[in-house]
Formats: sequence, C-alpha cells, structure tokens
Amino acid sequence: MGKEILPVRFAVLDKVLNLARANSLWPMTFGLACCAIEMMATAMSRFDLDRFGAAVYRATPRQADLMIVTGTVTKKMAPVLTTLYDQMPSPKWVIAMGNCAISGGPFAFEGQYSIIEGVDLLVPVDVYVPGCPPRPEALLEGFLKLEEKITKTRRFPGPEKRW
Amino acid sequence: MIEDIVGKIGQEALRLIIGLVGVVAFVVVNALLLTWMERKVAGHMQRRIGPKEVGPFGLLQPIADALKLLGKEILTPKKVEKPLYYLAPTLIFIPALTSFVVIPFDAYLQVQDINVGILVILALSSLTVLSILVAGWGSENKYSLIGAIRSVAQNVAYEIPLLLSLLPVVMLTNSLSLKDIVEAQGKIWFVVLQPVAFFIYFIAAVAETNRTPFDLPEAESELVAGYHTEYSGMRFALFFLAEYTNIFIVSAIATTFFLGGYRGPLLPGILWFFIKSYLLVFVIMWFRWTYPRVRFDQLLNFSWKMLIPLTFVNLIITGGLLKL
Amino acid sequence: MVEEVKSGISQLLRERRPVEEPYGEKGYHLSVDMAPKDLIDVGRFFKEKGFYLACALCVDFRDYLELVYFFAHHEGHCRVKVTSRLDPQAPYAPSLSSVFGSALWYEREIHEFFGVRFEGHPNMAYLFLHGGIDFYPLRKEKVMVSEEDRALLNSFRPEEGEDTFFINLGPQHPSTHGVLRVVLKMDGEYIERAEPVMGYLHRMHEKMAENRTYLQFLPNTGRMDYLGAMAFNLGYVTAVERLCGIKAPPRAQYVRVIATELNRISSHLLWLGAYLADLGAMTPFLYVFDDREQILDILEGITGSRLTYCYFRFGGLFNDVDEDFITGVRRFIARMRGRFQIYDDLVTKNVIFINRTRNVGVITRETARQYGVSGPVLRGAGIAMDMRKKEPYAAYGEFDFSIPTGSYGDAHDIYLVRFKEMEESLNIIEQALNGLPEGPIMAEKVPKKLKPPKGDLYHVVETPRGELGIYIVSDESDIPYRMKWRVPSFANLMVFPELVRGCLLADAIAILGSLDLVIPEIDR
Repeated sequence: MGKEILPVRFAVLDKVLNLARANSLWPMTFGLACCAIEMMATAMSRFDLDRFGAAVYRATPRQADLMIVTGTVTKKMAPVLTTLYDQMPSPKWVIAMGNCAISGGPFAFEGQYSIIEGVDLLVPVDVYVPGCPPRPEALLEGFLKLEEKITKTRRFPGPEKRW
Repeated sequence: MIEDIVGKIGQEALRLIIGLVGVVAFVVVNALLLTWMERKVAGHMQRRIGPKEVGPFGLLQPIADALKLLGKEILTPKKVEKPLYYLAPTLIFIPALTSFVVIPFDAYLQVQDINVGILVILALSSLTVLSILVAGWGSENKYSLIGAIRSVAQNVAYEIPLLLSLLPVVMLTNSLSLKDIVEAQGKIWFVVLQPVAFFIYFIAAVAETNRTPFDLPEAESELVAGYHTEYSGMRFALFFLAEYTNIFIVSAIATTFFLGGYRGPLLPGILWFFIKSYLLVFVIMWFRWTYPRVRFDQLLNFSWKMLIPLTFVNLIITGGLLKL
Repeated sequence: MVEEVKSGISQLLRERRPVEEPYGEKGYHLSVDMAPKDLIDVGRFFKEKGFYLACALCVDFRDYLELVYFFAHHEGHCRVKVTSRLDPQAPYAPSLSSVFGSALWYEREIHEFFGVRFEGHPNMAYLFLHGGIDFYPLRKEKVMVSEEDRALLNSFRPEEGEDTFFINLGPQHPSTHGVLRVVLKMDGEYIERAEPVMGYLHRMHEKMAENRTYLQFLPNTGRMDYLGAMAFNLGYVTAVERLCGIKAPPRAQYVRVIATELNRISSHLLWLGAYLADLGAMTPFLYVFDDREQILDILEGITGSRLTYCYFRFGGLFNDVDEDFITGVRRFIARMRGRFQIYDDLVTKNVIFINRTRNVGVITRETARQYGVSGPVLRGAGIAMDMRKKEPYAAYGEFDFSIPTGSYGDAHDIYLVRFKEMEESLNIIEQALNGLPEGPIMAEKVPKKLKPPKGDLYHVVETPRGELGIYIVSDESDIPYRMKWRVPSFANLMVFPELVRGCLLADAIAILGSLDLVIPEIDR
C-alpha cells in the first residue's frame, strides 16, 4: 500500500538498517543444555563475541532480536520456546546450535517419547551450527554467516570451498 | 536579516534557544558515548576488548545500536494499561533533559543561571522515581511491579542522604546557585573541606541512578529485567539513555559541588569540566564490574541506619565550625 | 556396624533374614527381601540407626515389579539393599515419605515411570514427564496410564491467596542454572513456599540404556552432567569393569585420576563464576572462564573434546598421555596456585559478598540425613563424607589428601569448602604426576562385546556435586537390563524448599546457587 502512494525506493535505507541490525544483534539468554556452556565460552574473554557488538545478553525476549537455541528441546519445554519466540519483536532470527537443536542429536532413537527432533519443527531457523557441542569458533562462524545473511556481504573471508 | 530576527526575539531569548538546542544535542551525543564507554570499560576490565569491528575502535557501535532499536517493531502487549505504558518512557527523559539547564559547563556556558539551581535539579530528579513506578505498574507484569516497588523504596531512602550531603556545601557558600558554588572554590576545592560529604553523596548518587551495587530494581538474575521488562524497541532505548544521562548528571553535580567545576589551570574550563565528570563516570562504571549486588534489606538498613545519621553529624559539625 | 544391622533386622522381621553379600562385587553389604507391608517398620529402624535413604528405584522383571531401596550411613561403612516384590497388575506399596523426606520425590518418579501407587503419599503429581504422555515409559511392555493417574497428568495448579502471589523463576534463566522452574509463593518480598518443577530437559537416558550396548551408552554419560563429565565417565567405566571383573593397569588408573581432578577443578571454577554472576558481580565469571580455558586446552590434547568427554574405555584409556600433557599440567598447577590469591582478594574478602552469604540457607545435620544430601553441601554442614576417601576407586587410595569441612552449613561455608577442594585437587594431581607409572594403558583380553555375568551392582563415585550412584542390573546380554543413576543434584534440590521458607527472594537465589545444580543430571 505504502509503496504505491510514495513512488520512492528505500533501498539505501534498507541497506543501512540491515547493516545496523547485523552489527548489533542482541541475543536472548536461552541456554538449555551442554551447548549453553560453549555459548558462554564464546562470549568470554578468549573468543570475545562482543567484538561484533553482540554480547549484550538481554534476559527479556522483548529487548532481544536473536534466539540461540542451545540444547535439546523437549516436549515439556516446547510451549515455553514458542511463547518466547512470539514475544520477541521482529525482525528476529534464530540460530540452532548443536546437534540436538538441529535434529534431535544423540537422543533421537527409536521409541523416544520426550524430545522434539529439531527446533525447526517449532520456529523458523536461520543458521544451523552443527557439533556436539560445537566449538566456539564454529559458533562465531555461524554468527558471521547470520550477518552475511542479513547484509549480503561477508565480513571476514571464509574458508575456501574445496568442492 | 539576522539583525531583524535578533531584534524581534530579543538577545536573551535567542541565547536560551541556542542553549537548549545545544543541551539536547549534547545529551544525545553523551548517551551514545557512554554506552560505548561502558562496553569498552567492561571489556578491558574483563581481559578482553569490547566492540572492535564496528568502525574504528568500535566507535560506530552505539550508532548501530540506536539504528537497530529505531527499526524494531513497536510492540504493545495486550494487557498493559495503555496511558501509563505510553507515558513512562517520555516521563523518565524529562528530568534528564531539564536538569542540564542549570549545569555550568564553563564560566559563561550555562543555559540559565537560576538562583535556586540545585533545588531545580533535585526536585526534578524525583520525577525519575515516579516514572519508574508508572512503568512498573503500567506493564501489568509481576516482575516489573516488584522491580518498580524496590526502586521506589530505594530511591526514597537515598534521596535524603543525597540532599543532606549537599547541604554543607550550600552552607559554606551561602547560595543555592551552581555558578556561585563553582566560583567559591577558587582557593580550595570543597572535597578537601568536606570529604565525608563527598563520599556520602557519591554512594547516594550511585543508588539513585540504580547502578550496581544497588541495582536491585533491574536485577537480572532474579527479576528478568525489572521495571523495563515489557518495553521493546525505541521505548526501551529511552530508558537506557535516561539511565546513562542520569549518571552523567550526578557526576556533573559532584564535579560542580566538590571538585571545582570548570576551574583549572591552562586548559579551557569546559575541558576541565568534562575531564572531571567523565572521571567520576568511569569510577561509577568501575563499581559495576567489581561488586556484587547488595540485598534489599541490607540496602535500606545501610541508608536509614548509617548514612542518614552520618550526614546529620556532618551537618552539625560543619555548622558548629562555621559559627566559630 | 554390619553385624548389628543384620541382627537388628533379623529381630524386626522374623520370617525374612538379611543375606550378607560380597561387597567387592556387589557394592552393598546386606540385602533383605520383604513384603511391602514391612517397609515402614524397616525404614524407621534405619532412621533410628542414623542411616539415610540413598536411592529408591524400581525394576520391571516382567513377572513382578521389584522395588529397591538403598540405605547408607554417613560416618560408618554399611550399605543395605532392601527389596520388595509387587504384582505388576496391581502395584501398591506404602510410602516411606513419613519417615524419610527424600522418599517424596523418588516415589513420584517411580510412580510416573512404572505406575506403582504409593499409599500415604501426600502429592502424587507427575514430576518429570510432559502432559501428553499416556503410557509408563520404563515398563518393558507398553502399559497404558490408568484412569486414576490420568487426572494427575497436568495436576500442578498453584492457587492464589489473599495477600500472596506466585512468581516463576525460570524455566528460562539469565544464568547457568539450566531449565529449572521454581514456583514461588510470595508474600511481598518474603517466600512462603517454593516448589521446583522439573522435567524440562528429560532426555530419556535410562530408557536409552535399555536400548544400547554398554559401549554405545558411554557418550550419554558425558551429557548427563556436562560440567563433571569425566567423573560420570569414570563412574560408569569402573562400574562395568567391576561387574565384569576387568582390572585396568596402574598407568591408566593414574591418568584417570589426573583427568578427573582437572575436570573437578574446572567444574568448581565455573560454579564460582556462575554463583557470583547470580549475585551481581560479572567480572569473576570471565576470569574463571580464562582459567578454565587452560584446563580445556590440556584435556583437549588427549581426549579431543572440550566439554563432553568420552575418554575412558572398559579396561583403560583409548589414548595415552604425551609430554605436552605433562608439561601443560605442571605449568597449569603453577599458574593456578597464583590465581587463588586473585579470587581471594576479589571475592572471599568482599564485604558485600560475605553479607549476602553468611547465615543464608543453614543446613543442619538432621536435614542432611533426612534428604540424603551429599557433596560440598554436606561437607559445609560439618559431615566429612567424601566417596574418594570412604570407598576408594581408581587409585585414589594411594594419594594423601584431606577433606575440607565447614562448621555452620551456610552458603559461605559451602563456598569455602569448594574453594579448598580446588586446592586439594591440585595436590592430588601433583602427587599423581610425580608417581605416574610406566606401562600399558589398556587391560589385556577385554572382549569386544561385553557380556557381564548375571547380577546387579551399586557403584558409588564422587563427582564435583556429590555422591553419584550407578545401579546396573545385567541379564548376561550385551545390553543392560536396567540402569539407574542416583544423581547428587536431585537429592540436593530436595533441601531447597525447606531452606527458603521465610527468606527473601535474593536469599533464595543465593541458596539455589550454592547448591550447584546441573539440571540435565536431575532430569536424566
């Protein structure tokens, strides 16, 4: 509707806003299991996540724009997760960290009755970071991938593709 | 053309308008600078570098934060009390802006030298408490309510030592105007004459601005985020900025009252003012990253049972010495 | 002590007599089988003697359900296994909750996993499982939930009172607790009642144990307590070795001790940082992660993982230590001893910290015995029980170390106990490094498919959080028949509702932090 009233393109504004959003991603504290410790290690002095402007962890979903799902999502926890996701204002992103959040991990066996095999069955996921638990460098790479997804430009050169 | 405009409005009014515009600009730049400074100070104290990638030395980080918050969805939860919920962020910024009217940045860089200057600031800073209560109540959320109630009790308890520790300085200079107080520190700074009052004022100031070790109203590990739990986007940014502006205001008052304001050799006055104020701001940030939180009843005990009697004793001694 | 217990029980139950078991193979001294109606009398007998209920579990033997209780003593050395058989069609048993407080939650867990009904239990609401489950998971055949239990599925409803309101602490926490939800009934700032709600991370470890071989289950042990993964690994590996009669060579035992103690230090360090972050001081959190990274680098060199280790194998280790490891550990010991001074200055002598933790959450000896508390929480209350000294395993018997204890049992004492335990661990590592023997790292003739002989075993180790008990029932196949993990955090959490009654909210946070809970091991 608005685009028809004003025949102006907002491309530059979009670009600037996306750059600002990518450089100031505020995660929500949502540590579920073992991967949470590696997420904390990423925010600490050795693998500093604050360099990219991202270590302002907000406890309330209303002030966060990134939800890093670290750990197994069980059927008891699923309503809590979707409620928190709904409470976040858009634009919002989700990183699924660890094998459990991607597809159930080592706990998806025949006859399982309690976990959800992958958080993308509940919320839309932007970046998947595999590992059990993934190294902090892997989470940083996932972060940079998310920034690349938002701004369409890559900050540091990634590893060369071999195939 | 310009002489016509000046003639129509009057020189005094023009000065006022330019001053106010300058104050608003300064408040915005200062808030952005302080958010950057907080993260850098935190980083270096924790053996890491803070924001580094966004612009040189991370200087563009606060601008990225501000733009991101501007571009967020404006979310109003369904059950809030709408008038109170919308009012609170604006209400909390009013005392921050208006307090800057009377602060002397340099000998002639003060928007208006009101002769009851400090009363203006103290009266308006009580509005901060009111706006926190409005925010907590209007959010219709148990955590916000608990945070707001804690904040009200804490601010009421610490307003009294704040006031009473500034009173000896007023007694020494016989004036409530901030400019006169700075001018009276020509020979010796008041921190030498009133060290106890300076410490009590500083502690009460840290408590008034809800900073650690007195940051129970927004205790993260207990109450999610305290009174601003339900605010998002630009509304939250206003709370955030008001907190940092308040930090600067209390440091500026401490500088004016105890550390000689803009007086100092060689460098222009305004530079001295900024150096002293930002030094105190750095000390307040230093507190945040060193101390754990004080428990609520210990906090109130500390104020009512220790700080207030101490300020009274200080007042009596000062009055007695002045009489002699 | 074993003799007097044996004679006491013989007098109590005239028809059944306790049987003495070989402690080295079974892990307990006596076993008694009785009818369900005698359970409360026996429970009272043990309570008078000063025993505590270490564990209560159930095993489904298809023709009958067997309830198993383990009673142990803090000071003496006696562990008794009490069993009782129930009819699988009508499993009713009297509740021990009037005698031992720890039975409350154990019986709720047995009820929701097996369907056993306990008479006299005040509150049979579901503990772990989610509301949509309609069968009893750990039964061997699929048994649907009975009608009367269906009403209990979602039965936790807090009622609001006149002047009180409810707040939830979690399940999303801005700290490292994990997904624990505590429902607090508040009267202003004071807490009237606290009720933990668990099960948000129930990952079916015990069910997986019945579907995996012994070797395939090994990675699971690291995920149960991710901070003390080496200790859980060690417990499982030594338990299975004890069951099969395999003995690991001395070099492997020494390296196991070094790795476990390094892991203990890193777990205590993380607890320190997280506790202070809960109290509001953010900086020590970063300092401890710095120290932890040194340990993780050393352990990564030999194990390949940073957090969830899987280093031990049945019969020894899979990878030998090299020169880098030894020099790294020596450098780490020297560095760590200097770092303790920093933490002392920054934290231990801080007035605000002392005021927040002194006289907060005092645990008495009686409470500790009633709930089966273990670990630094128990040692802070004054009882010097450490499984490394009491029932030595894996070369701990050859080292000389002391057990730090506190005197008041408050949060500050628990903090000091953990601090001193880190120093003791450094001593142990140093002694182990100095005396590291040469030789093979793997026992000979370890079968590829382990088939332990028929029987059961209760093995106990000391993790950074307390006493871990592993109960394995084997039926000669390569898949365990039943494996039960008695985790220390579960028993420690039971004390929490007692301690916070009448406290301020800030104190509740301090108490919860001092218990050092890791939720995945509670929820298993």
